[in-house]
Amino acid sequence: MEYVLRARGLMKEYKRTRAVDGVDLEVMNGERVGLLGPNGAGKTTTLMMLLGAISPDEGSIEICGHRLPGGRSEAMQRVGFSAGYMPLAERLRVGEFLRMYGELYGVLDIEARIDAGLERFRIPELAEAMGTQLSSGQRTLVGIVKATLHRPSLLVLDEPTASLDPDVALRVRTGLRDLCQSEGTALLITSHNMVEIERLCERVVFLSAGSVIANGTPSAITSQFERDDLEGVFIHLAQVGAEQRERAERRTQETDHSA
Amino acid sequence: MFRSPHRLFDVTIWPLVDVILFGSIGAFIAGNESAGAQAFGYLLGGVVLWHIIYQAQIAVSTGFLEETWSRNLLNIMITPVKEWEYVAGTALFGLVKLILGTGLVAVTALLLFSFDVTDLGLGLVPIGAILLAVGWLIALFVIGFVLRFGSGAEALAWGIMFVVMPLSGVFYPVDALPDVVRPLALVLPTTYAFDAMRTLLDGDGIDWGTIGIAAATTVGLTAAALLFLVRMLRVFRARGFITRYS
Repeated sequence: MEYVLRARGLMKEYKRTRAVDGVDLEVMNGERVGLLGPNGAGKTTTLMMLLGAISPDEGSIEICGHRLPGGRSEAMQRVGFSAGYMPLAERLRVGEFLRMYGELYGVLDIEARIDAGLERFRIPELAEAMGTQLSSGQRTLVGIVKATLHRPSLLVLDEPTASLDPDVALRVRTGLRDLCQSEGTALLITSHNMVEIERLCERVVFLSAGSVIANGTPSAITSQFERDDLEGVFIHLAQVGAEQRERAERRTQETDHSA
Repeated sequence: MFRSPHRLFDVTIWPLVDVILFGSIGAFIAGNESAGAQAFGYLLGGVVLWHIIYQAQIAVSTGFLEETWSRNLLNIMITPVKEWEYVAGTALFGLVKLILGTGLVAVTALLLFSFDVTDLGLGLVPIGAILLAVGWLIALFVIGFVLRFGSGAEALAWGIMFVVMPLSGVFYPVDALPDVVRPLALVLPTTYAFDAMRTLLDGDGIDWGTIGIAAATTVGLTAAALLFLVRMLRVFRARGFITRYS
């Protein structure tokens, strides 16, 4: 098995806040990994660094053997990204939008890839729809099709099923599992839906206050923290993180007063 | 207001620009006996060629701004497209708008005022090429400012051209400018390009010396624009400004 992603010692500080603090993250070829953590844990900043949109203060990132930032273009050729907050072109038809991105990635069999992608997520009827006509669930599905057109080795998804109804969320999970199995695509996904992560991911990485605090299979992590499921672990870690933050703030205030 | 200095432009830069532009036109006409006859060609030639630089700049700047307005910047940044490929693609696509916009101005000048810009002959080619390049490099500065300062700097896409216009002596020789701003005019390639245009209008042929200075200053300014853009892109990535657009 080869690494498709290898990040070491990622550090990112905004003004006086350390958003990411020494994160190590690896994803193997074809592996499905969930990146979890409460709001403000550093998940999105980590993803943005992995995508080259934010540069780390320290640490290294290598995607399919291409090191960022120098090899960004080559690395991005092997990565697909989609998020619930990513826009679609409103004045283009879905087919036109997908064709445009297929061309940006240099996909040769664009039409076949578009058809296969829309079919995989059971939305072939949307090819002629305008961006403005899509529901939020349909936009999410089209966004994922866009991110997989070029057969990426690593698919990165940030909250792909946020605010989706259970039926569409199921369609997303089924399509992603099929994609990973048939094309060997590795998956790195963030979500606040723990059930979804348990069903989809083979391994889970928990972030809290910018650091990795747990890394293993969902069952190993639930055992490690003596909880029934990932949701229990999530709530436990979120509470512990909040207490740590409060203690740290109190210490800072006391230091300021004594100074 | 001091944390958003661009808000001061309405009460500082634009009034200054207006008074320099129209004051300099007045100074040119008042200080030259034959200025009345020359002014016709200078004004129309100036406005037609000005549209080359204006359309080139605005096409690239607004092409980039549209990515920010539609929050599409992240979509672009995560593709394999390199930064220079994106700028080059936007610039080439903008050529269509440039041809339409400048063509409309040139045809209108011909139909309504019998001013045929093609009468300037082959000398138009190097002057047009320099103005095109300057339009693009000003757009690089604008993109750099937007990357660094966000939406507050968007007004520069349009506003910067109205600073460059009076300083470049688009409608008059730079001798007509107030002494205090003349040194600024001398570092702009557009000053020499429009000077060469006036030489053509006066029937004195192609002034290769002036065009050479315009080309050299264009190269210098291009290097400065590229350095600035690379620096601003580095700041954009280092400070995580992509989150403004996602």
